[in-house]
Amino acid sequence: MRFDSFEQMLAHLAETGPDAPALRYDDKTLSFSELKHAVDARAAMLRAERKTSLGLLCDGSLDSVIELFAANLAGLQLVMLDASLDTDTLRTLIRYTDVDTLWGEEDLKEDLELALMGGVKNGAGRILFFTSGTTEQAKAVVLTDHSLCQSAWNGSAKLPLTPDDRLLCLLPLSHVFGFVCGLLWGLSCGACVSLGRGARHYLDDCDFYRPTAVSVVPMLLGFLLQQKCVNPELRLILVGAGDCAPELLRAATDLGLHVSFGYGLTETSSGVAISVQGDPYAMEVCPDDTITLADDGEILIQAPTCMMQGYYKRPDATRAVLRDGVLHTGDLGCFDEDGRLHITGRKKDMLVLSDGTKIFLPEYESALMQTLEHMELAVVLKGGRPALIYCGSGDASAVMEKLRPLMRRQPRGKQIAEVVFTDEPLPRTQTGKIKRWELQQKVMESA
Amino acid sequence: MSREEVLEKTKGVIFDCFPDLKDQELTEDTVINNETAIDSMGFVLIICKLEALFDVRIPERQWKKLQTLGDVVDAIYKRLA
Repeated sequence: MRFDSFEQMLAHLAETGPDAPALRYDDKTLSFSELKHAVDARAAMLRAERKTSLGLLCDGSLDSVIELFAANLAGLQLVMLDASLDTDTLRTLIRYTDVDTLWGEEDLKEDLELALMGGVKNGAGRILFFTSGTTEQAKAVVLTDHSLCQSAWNGSAKLPLTPDDRLLCLLPLSHVFGFVCGLLWGLSCGACVSLGRGARHYLDDCDFYRPTAVSVVPMLLGFLLQQKCVNPELRLILVGAGDCAPELLRAATDLGLHVSFGYGLTETSSGVAISVQGDPYAMEVCPDDTITLADDGEILIQAPTCMMQGYYKRPDATRAVLRDGVLHTGDLGCFDEDGRLHITGRKKDMLVLSDGTKIFLPEYESALMQTLEHMELAVVLKGGRPALIYCGSGDASAVMEKLRPLMRRQPRGKQIAEVVFTDEPLPRTQTGKIKRWELQQKVMESA
Repeated sequence: MSREEVLEKTKGVIFDCFPDLKDQELTEDTVINNETAIDSMGFVLIICKLEALFDVRIPERQWKKLQTLGDVVDAIYKRLA
């Protein structure tokens, strides 16, 4: 069902299926009426506190879900923060988004309190997600409960769940794919959402919750299959937020699982195209969205109900990608004869890892150049992991040793896994830009 | 249990999870993520197995701070002591 707001969604579900299970975390279950009651009670408390911008240090627990709905109902701007980030980065993000109150683990909150700001005016309904959460150039995408509800409907129109389904939410709610496809997709269909108990339970959450559907990033899908964590009741796997290797999809379908692949961006409140049947890479455009291709194959999206309001306090960055209601994605694609979208590559200087992490290459390579005092280098993906292409000769372990302090500050997935030396110069355009596809192709051919 | 025993058992878990690494020398300074073929999910697997083996719990927020084999051993040993 299509909802206009979280408030409407929770009220409707509590009315139509008050005793049906809504959320499960570990051995605790909340029915839809209990969820609504808990959210209403907490919203009343938040209203009394008169704060305006809540930074939610998401841990995926029941209380964190209650808090996010309550903050929205109470008219606060909600900032979705990844609690696993280091405290310096979190402080930067808190200052940037004018957060004046925090929810999360007490110790972490204490560490971050000095970064709290004065709050915002007119922040009601806004929900901020970060596209790249780890640098001073991080951008917060301004979405709303309305756009997120529309996105959940848009996806479920293509891939519906029923109240008998059990959706397992393994992905962080600070990521829009996790939020929409791990939480809202299930709730808006009246299904029970089981909240994953953190990375340490990746091995046993399927066995514990017995889900019928799960949303994953490719790396997590690989892990679940490799470790044989798939329960017999599981019928549907939605894969998104990264490129998925064909052998991985094959392994899942061989188990009799229906695998759908989704394409979307934080800027469009998650998915705009989903594969429904047949070729998992051939995606049907969701009902509210229009996708066209620019002359160079760049995917252009019109998503009137789900589009971001813009990047928070970054009007220039917003104008660079969103013009006349059309989002210039930087991704390349094509349509097949049935009008289904296929993703073919990326135009922008960015790598997307199989865990959904993005690496903005100019910035990352600049840090590598400074550390190594060597200008002719580039980063590509090799075996799904970042590899450093180093023009010249040298000793890989010496390069790694030099990089060690820089790598220690990087999230695990972004760390350079291999150094590849080459005698050839980097392939470049006439204007000096690295021809990344050519370089990537060479690396793949030599592997 | 001594720290040396924790180190040896930790190596054993890593080799069990990733038999291909048996030819590779793992030292306390080995950076698990970029000096071995272990990716971030592989790291999760290792930590889960180690937590079960030693009956300890390392908070997830600290996992990303564990870069070298020595860091992992320290985190476990500290919780055993």
